[in-house]
Amino acid sequence: MVEVDNRVPLDWDALEVGEVFEKFEYVLTQQMIDEYRWGVMDSEAAFPTISHKVDVRQFNAKYSDNGSVNARCAFHCYNSPVPGKKLTVTAWVADKYLRRDKNYIVTEATSVDEDGRLIDRVITHELKQPWEVGKKWEG
Amino acid sequence: MGGIARSYSEGDPVAPLVKEMTQEAINLFEGSAGHSEPSQFTDEEAARETLGTSGTVASGRMSISFALEMMRRHFGGDVFNHTGTVDLRFLRPVRPGDTITFTGEVTGTSREANGLKVNVKIEARNQRGDTTAVGAGSAIVPNAYLALEE
Repeated sequence: MVEVDNRVPLDWDALEVGEVFEKFEYVLTQQMIDEYRWGVMDSEAAFPTISHKVDVRQFNAKYSDNGSVNARCAFHCYNSPVPGKKLTVTAWVADKYLRRDKNYIVTEATSVDEDGRLIDRVITHELKQPWEVGKKWEG
Repeated sequence: MGGIARSYSEGDPVAPLVKEMTQEAINLFEGSAGHSEPSQFTDEEAARETLGTSGTVASGRMSISFALEMMRRHFGGDVFNHTGTVDLRFLRPVRPGDTITFTGEVTGTSREANGLKVNVKIEARNQRGDTTAVGAGSAIVPNAYLALEE
Protein backbone atom coordinates (compact mmCIF):
# COMPACT_ATOMS: atom_id res chain seq x y z
CA MET A 1 0.00 0.00 0.00
CA VAL A 2 1.32 3.43 -0.93
CA GLU A 3 1.22 5.98 1.88
CA VAL A 4 -0.18 9.37 0.95
CA ASP A 5 1.96 12.32 2.02
CA ASN A 6 -0.48 14.92 3.31
CA ARG A 7 2.21 17.25 4.55
CA VAL A 8 2.27 20.89 3.56
CA PRO A 9 5.40 22.15 1.76
CA LEU A 10 7.19 24.42 4.22
CA ASP A 11 6.91 28.14 3.43
CA TRP A 12 9.47 29.68 5.76
CA ASP A 13 8.12 33.22 5.28
CA ALA A 14 4.57 32.17 6.08
CA LEU A 15 5.47 30.02 9.09
CA GLU A 16 4.05 31.64 12.21
CA VAL A 17 6.09 31.89 15.38
CA GLY A 18 3.83 30.65 18.14
CA GLU A 19 2.15 27.95 16.08
CA VAL A 20 1.28 25.13 18.47
CA PHE A 21 1.16 21.63 17.07
CA GLU A 22 -1.29 18.87 17.84
CA LYS A 23 -0.34 17.12 21.08
CA PHE A 24 1.65 13.94 20.72
CA GLU A 25 1.41 11.00 23.13
CA TYR A 26 3.58 7.94 23.57
CA VAL A 27 4.44 5.39 26.22
CA LEU A 28 8.08 5.29 27.23
CA THR A 29 8.94 1.61 27.58
CA GLN A 30 11.78 0.01 29.53
CA GLN A 31 13.16 -1.29 26.22
CA MET A 32 13.34 2.26 24.87
CA ILE A 33 15.19 3.34 27.99
CA ASP A 34 17.60 0.39 27.80
CA GLU A 35 18.41 0.97 24.12
CA TYR A 36 18.96 4.66 24.75
CA ARG A 37 21.30 3.91 27.66
CA TRP A 38 23.29 1.47 25.51
CA GLY A 39 23.48 4.04 22.74
CA VAL A 40 24.83 6.81 24.97
CA MET A 41 26.92 4.37 27.04
CA ASP A 42 25.46 5.61 30.31
CA SER A 43 23.62 3.10 32.49
CA GLU A 44 22.14 5.91 34.62
CA ALA A 45 21.03 8.20 31.80
CA ALA A 46 17.79 9.67 33.07
CA PHE A 47 16.28 11.41 30.05
CA PRO A 48 15.82 8.98 27.15
CA THR A 49 13.12 11.35 25.94
CA ILE A 50 15.77 13.34 24.07
CA SER A 51 16.23 10.63 21.44
CA HIS A 52 12.53 10.87 20.58
CA LYS A 53 13.08 14.33 19.06
CA VAL A 54 9.59 15.28 20.16
CA ASP A 55 10.11 18.98 19.59
CA VAL A 56 10.40 18.49 15.82
CA ARG A 57 8.21 15.43 15.46
CA GLN A 58 4.92 17.25 14.95
CA PHE A 59 6.60 19.90 12.84
CA ASN A 60 7.92 17.18 10.54
CA ALA A 61 4.52 15.50 10.52
CA LYS A 62 2.88 18.69 9.27
CA TYR A 63 5.50 20.21 6.96
CA SER A 64 7.66 18.73 4.21
CA ASP A 65 11.01 20.31 3.42
CA ASN A 66 14.54 19.43 2.39
CA GLY A 67 15.48 18.18 5.83
CA SER A 68 17.44 19.97 8.49
CA VAL A 69 20.46 19.83 10.70
CA ASN A 70 20.56 20.54 14.41
CA ALA A 71 22.50 23.75 15.00
CA ARG A 72 21.77 24.28 18.66
CA CYS A 73 19.84 22.39 21.31
CA ALA A 74 18.94 23.19 24.90
CA PHE A 75 17.57 20.64 27.34
CA HIS A 76 15.98 21.35 30.74
CA CYS A 77 15.57 18.52 33.25
CA TYR A 78 12.66 18.50 35.70
CA ASN A 79 11.83 14.89 36.57
CA SER A 80 13.20 11.73 35.00
CA PRO A 81 10.47 9.78 33.20
CA VAL A 82 9.11 6.53 34.62
CA PRO A 83 8.98 3.46 32.35
CA GLY A 84 5.49 2.48 31.30
CA LYS A 85 4.02 5.94 31.79
CA LYS A 86 2.32 7.78 28.96
CA LEU A 87 3.97 11.07 28.03
CA THR A 88 2.13 13.97 26.46
CA VAL A 89 4.19 16.38 24.39
CA THR A 90 3.21 19.93 23.55
CA ALA A 91 5.40 21.46 20.85
CA TRP A 92 5.38 24.83 19.14
CA VAL A 93 7.37 27.09 16.84
CA ALA A 94 9.33 29.26 19.25
CA ASP A 95 11.23 31.40 16.75
CA LYS A 96 12.64 31.64 13.25
CA TYR A 97 15.57 33.69 12.02
CA LEU A 98 17.91 34.33 9.14
CA ARG A 99 21.65 34.26 9.77
CA ARG A 100 24.24 34.57 7.01
CA ASP A 101 21.49 33.98 4.43
CA LYS A 102 20.52 30.70 6.07
CA ASN A 103 17.11 29.90 7.51
CA TYR A 104 16.70 28.60 11.02
CA ILE A 105 13.57 27.41 12.80
CA VAL A 106 13.40 27.09 16.57
CA THR A 107 11.00 24.53 18.00
CA GLU A 108 10.27 23.99 21.66
CA ALA A 109 8.46 21.23 23.49
CA THR A 110 7.53 20.16 26.98
CA SER A 111 6.77 16.62 28.08
CA VAL A 112 4.39 15.79 30.94
CA ASP A 113 3.60 12.31 32.17
CA GLU A 114 0.17 10.81 32.89
CA ASP A 115 0.48 11.82 36.56
CA GLY A 116 1.05 15.45 35.63
CA ARG A 117 4.79 15.46 36.36
CA LEU A 118 6.73 17.87 34.17
CA ILE A 119 9.53 15.79 32.64
CA ASP A 120 11.64 18.05 30.45
CA ARG A 121 11.76 20.94 28.03
CA VAL A 122 13.76 20.92 24.82
CA ILE A 123 14.52 23.80 22.47
CA THR A 124 16.12 23.13 19.10
CA HIS A 125 17.49 25.45 16.42
CA GLU A 126 17.39 23.68 13.07
CA LEU A 127 19.23 24.89 10.00
CA LYS A 128 16.91 24.28 7.06
CA GLN A 129 19.70 24.02 4.49
CA PRO A 130 21.28 20.76 5.69
CA TRP A 131 23.59 20.48 2.66
CA GLU A 132 25.60 23.35 4.20
CA VAL A 133 27.17 20.69 6.45
CA GLY A 134 28.74 18.91 3.49
CA LYS A 135 29.71 22.17 1.81
CA LYS A 136 31.51 23.34 4.92
CA TRP A 137 33.12 20.15 6.16
CA GLU A 138 33.68 17.99 3.08
CA GLY A 139 35.24 20.67 0.88
CA MET B 1 20.83 14.94 53.29
CA GLY B 2 23.33 14.78 56.14
CA GLY B 3 26.21 14.30 53.68
CA ILE B 4 29.23 16.49 53.07
CA ALA B 5 28.24 20.08 52.36
CA ARG B 6 28.87 21.04 48.78
CA SER B 7 30.78 24.08 47.64
CA TYR B 8 31.04 25.70 44.20
CA SER B 9 33.39 28.45 43.02
CA GLU B 10 34.23 30.12 39.73
CA GLY B 11 37.00 28.23 37.98
CA ASP B 12 36.15 24.85 39.49
CA PRO B 13 36.77 22.18 36.84
CA VAL B 14 34.15 19.58 36.00
CA ALA B 15 35.57 16.08 35.54
CA PRO B 16 35.90 15.41 31.79
CA LEU B 17 33.84 12.77 30.04
CA VAL B 18 35.21 10.77 27.08
CA LYS B 19 33.01 8.93 24.60
CA GLU B 20 33.96 6.71 21.66
CA MET B 21 31.40 7.25 18.93
CA THR B 22 30.43 4.16 16.95
CA GLN B 23 27.82 3.49 14.29
CA GLU B 24 26.34 0.88 16.61
CA ALA B 25 25.85 3.52 19.33
CA ILE B 26 24.23 5.87 16.82
CA ASN B 27 21.92 3.11 15.61
CA LEU B 28 20.90 2.28 19.19
CA PHE B 29 20.24 5.94 19.96
CA GLU B 30 18.07 6.37 16.89
CA GLY B 31 16.39 2.98 17.30
CA SER B 32 15.50 3.65 20.92
CA ALA B 33 12.88 6.09 19.71
CA GLY B 34 11.67 3.88 16.89
CA HIS B 35 13.47 5.83 14.16
CA SER B 36 14.03 2.84 11.89
CA GLU B 37 13.90 4.55 8.50
CA PRO B 38 17.25 5.32 6.83
CA SER B 39 18.49 8.75 7.89
CA GLN B 40 21.59 10.91 7.83
CA PHE B 41 22.49 9.26 11.12
CA THR B 42 22.19 5.63 10.11
CA ASP B 43 22.59 5.42 6.35
CA GLU B 44 25.54 6.67 4.27
CA GLU B 45 23.42 7.25 1.16
CA ALA B 46 20.88 9.30 3.12
CA ALA B 47 23.72 11.32 4.66
CA ARG B 48 25.16 11.98 1.19
CA GLU B 49 21.78 13.10 -0.15
CA THR B 50 20.71 15.23 2.82
CA LEU B 51 23.95 16.63 4.18
CA GLY B 52 26.41 16.13 1.34
CA THR B 53 28.76 14.27 3.67
CA SER B 54 30.73 11.15 2.78
CA GLY B 55 29.36 9.23 5.74
CA THR B 56 26.88 9.28 8.59
CA VAL B 57 27.00 11.73 11.46
CA ALA B 58 25.78 11.49 15.04
CA SER B 59 22.74 13.48 16.11
CA GLY B 60 23.57 16.58 18.12
CA ARG B 61 21.22 15.14 20.69
CA MET B 62 23.83 12.48 21.46
CA SER B 63 26.22 15.28 22.40
CA ILE B 64 23.46 16.76 24.58
CA SER B 65 23.12 13.36 26.26
CA PHE B 66 26.87 13.23 26.96
CA ALA B 67 26.87 16.76 28.37
CA LEU B 68 23.92 15.81 30.58
CA GLU B 69 25.95 12.85 31.87
CA MET B 70 29.00 14.99 32.65
CA MET B 71 26.86 17.51 34.50
CA ARG B 72 24.89 14.82 36.37
CA ARG B 73 28.12 13.23 37.56
CA HIS B 74 29.31 16.61 38.83
CA PHE B 75 26.15 17.71 40.63
CA GLY B 76 24.62 14.33 41.42
CA GLY B 77 21.41 13.01 39.94
CA ASP B 78 19.42 14.14 42.98
CA VAL B 79 20.14 17.73 42.00
CA PHE B 80 20.82 17.72 38.28
CA ASN B 81 17.89 15.52 37.19
CA HIS B 82 15.49 18.09 38.70
CA THR B 83 17.15 21.43 38.02
CA GLY B 84 19.78 20.82 35.33
CA THR B 85 20.10 22.45 31.94
CA VAL B 86 22.43 22.04 28.99
CA ASP B 87 22.55 24.31 25.94
CA LEU B 88 25.00 23.45 23.14
CA ARG B 89 25.80 24.88 19.72
CA PHE B 90 27.07 22.27 17.29
CA LEU B 91 30.11 23.45 15.40
CA ARG B 92 31.39 20.34 13.62
CA PRO B 93 29.91 16.95 12.78
CA VAL B 94 30.64 14.04 15.11
CA ARG B 95 31.19 10.85 13.12
CA PRO B 96 31.55 7.15 13.88
CA GLY B 97 35.13 6.53 14.96
CA ASP B 98 35.49 9.89 16.70
CA THR B 99 36.56 10.15 20.31
CA ILE B 100 34.80 13.08 21.91
CA THR B 101 35.98 14.66 25.16
CA PHE B 102 33.60 16.88 27.09
CA THR B 103 35.03 19.38 29.56
CA GLY B 104 33.43 21.92 31.86
CA GLU B 105 34.34 24.74 34.19
CA VAL B 106 32.22 26.66 36.68
CA THR B 107 31.84 30.23 35.46
CA GLY B 108 29.88 31.66 38.35
CA THR B 109 27.11 31.26 40.85
CA SER B 110 24.01 33.25 41.70
CA ARG B 111 21.36 33.10 44.38
CA GLU B 112 17.97 31.81 43.32
CA ALA B 113 14.77 31.45 45.31
CA ASN B 114 15.34 27.71 45.56
CA GLY B 115 19.10 27.50 46.04
CA LEU B 116 22.38 28.38 44.40
CA LYS B 117 22.49 28.41 40.62
CA VAL B 118 25.84 27.15 39.38
CA ASN B 119 26.76 28.00 35.78
CA VAL B 120 29.18 25.87 33.80
CA LYS B 121 30.76 26.42 30.41
CA ILE B 122 30.94 23.26 28.33
CA GLU B 123 33.13 22.32 25.40
CA ALA B 124 33.43 19.14 23.35
CA ARG B 125 36.48 18.30 21.23
CA ASN B 126 37.28 15.41 18.95
CA GLN B 127 40.51 13.38 18.87
CA ARG B 128 42.11 15.95 16.53
CA GLY B 129 41.46 18.74 19.02
CA ASP B 130 38.70 20.30 16.92
CA THR B 131 35.82 21.78 18.87
CA THR B 132 32.60 19.99 17.97
CA ALA B 133 30.27 21.79 20.39
CA VAL B 134 30.31 24.66 22.85
CA GLY B 135 27.78 25.94 25.28
CA ALA B 136 26.72 26.10 28.85
CA GLY B 137 24.90 24.23 31.52
CA SER B 138 23.58 24.91 34.97
CA ALA B 139 22.09 23.37 38.05
CA ILE B 140 20.35 24.84 41.07
CA VAL B 141 21.77 23.31 44.23
CA PRO B 142 19.30 23.46 47.15
CA ASN B 143 20.44 25.49 50.15
CA ALA B 144 20.20 22.38 52.31
CA TYR B 145 23.14 20.86 50.38
CA LEU B 146 25.43 23.87 50.72
CA ALA B 147 28.07 24.88 53.21
CA LEU B 148 26.72 27.59 55.55
CA GLU B 149 28.84 30.45 54.15
CA GLU B 150 27.34 29.98 50.70
